[in-house]
Amino acid sequence: MNEQALITDAQNGNLDAFNTLVLHYQDSVFNTALRILGDEDQAADAAQEAFISAFKSIKSFRGGSFKGWLMRTVTNACYDELRRQKRRPTTPLEPDTDDGEEMDSPRWLADPALTPDQKAEADEVEHALQHCLNNLPLEFKTVVVMADIQGLDYTEVSVAIRVPLGTIKSRLARARLRLRECLQGFEELLPASYRLEEGINA
Amino acid sequence: MNQRDLELLSAYLDGQLNPSDVTRLEARFQSDPQLVSVLNDLRSTRNLLRKLPARRAPRNFTLTRKMVGQNPPLPRAYPIFRLATTLATLLFVFSFGLNSFNRFAASQAPAFGMGGGGGAEDSVAAPYAAEIPATEAPAATEAPSVALAPPASTLLPTQDAANAAQTAESPTLKTGEAPNELNQSQPLPEQQISANPSPLIPSVWQIGLAIVAVVGFLLMLVSRRLAMNRWR
Repeated sequence: MNEQALITDAQNGNLDAFNTLVLHYQDSVFNTALRILGDEDQAADAAQEAFISAFKSIKSFRGGSFKGWLMRTVTNACYDELRRQKRRPTTPLEPDTDDGEEMDSPRWLADPALTPDQKAEADEVEHALQHCLNNLPLEFKTVVVMADIQGLDYTEVSVAIRVPLGTIKSRLARARLRLRECLQGFEELLPASYRLEEGINA
Repeated sequence: MNQRDLELLSAYLDGQLNPSDVTRLEARFQSDPQLVSVLNDLRSTRNLLRKLPARRAPRNFTLTRKMVGQNPPLPRAYPIFRLATTLATLLFVFSFGLNSFNRFAASQAPAFGMGGGGGAEDSVAAPYAAEIPATEAPAATEAPSVALAPPASTLLPTQDAANAAQTAESPTLKTGEAPNELNQSQPLPEQQISANPSPLIPSVWQIGLAIVAVVGFLLMLVSRRLAMNRWR
């Protein structure tokens, strides 16, 4: 795939060329939206909006990392979605304690009814991580999703969200620390291969 | 652990430190086991995030032309059809309005003229009539108050003059009371003519404009439909 040629064609209004780029990047864009929003349906909507917006503004792309540019578009679509949710809030599915108060600890996912086999399943890791991601402030979440999940380097993240490099470093370090603290609540849920201790000497 | 050390460790993990900072930090690892512990925590967290399974997109997000509001390339003559249709429509409406206004103004104008004029004539005619002796034929004096009275009245014999005076007297008396009633109850030939004035914009022109508007609109539709079919 000659990405630059496709971008140039798309900038000239060639929708087929742009759709080739869509097919190449749609999983990354969807996953970014999914990790930021934490909901598949909303993520799919945000991804679709992001591609529409990207096509309409592709003439403003002046080179550099196209993936980074797409990430910025999808991040903006996610911010729009979150703002929309804020205007029309929905009832959260947080469990209540025995006293009838909402439980705010991430440990609520540690359902004692789960068998050791279930705990070992990878989707539990995903749930735990997604829960911890959801608890992060939006600006931290965006940086950690781009850098650690999508694999963008600091410069690409900096360009994508238009924040200085130093701020990216700071946000990423703090986001990782907060995630680490949150994940400690799921230690026993993580399969052996995912235990945090495994990474100590990695 | 201060914020500065945390950022250094995170950047070290990603290989984003310059060589001198790397050397300095690695030297500190020997004497500060907490730094190593935090570094390992950060590395473990990053590894977990990297192992997060990538989901496949639930559907293709390819775009359709409708989604992005793309329109088919229209023929070059399309703007001409559009301009012609718009102008013809506007001119047609304008001409229609102008003719209607003209008819309305023409139908109102005589009534205004007689009503206002009657009052003025009364004010002039009344003192003039007072100066005329009663034996004199009033028709001769009052005839001017009704402009349409037969001018030959002055030449009539006395009996005729008396008859004419009777006929001319009644409007003279009535004009002071209700001149408009007189005008309306006895429409004059001029009024009938002015009620149906010739239109400012001839009907032929209006028909021509309507035809241009309709044909231009049809051409717009057809060319657009053809362009859409070719585009698909």
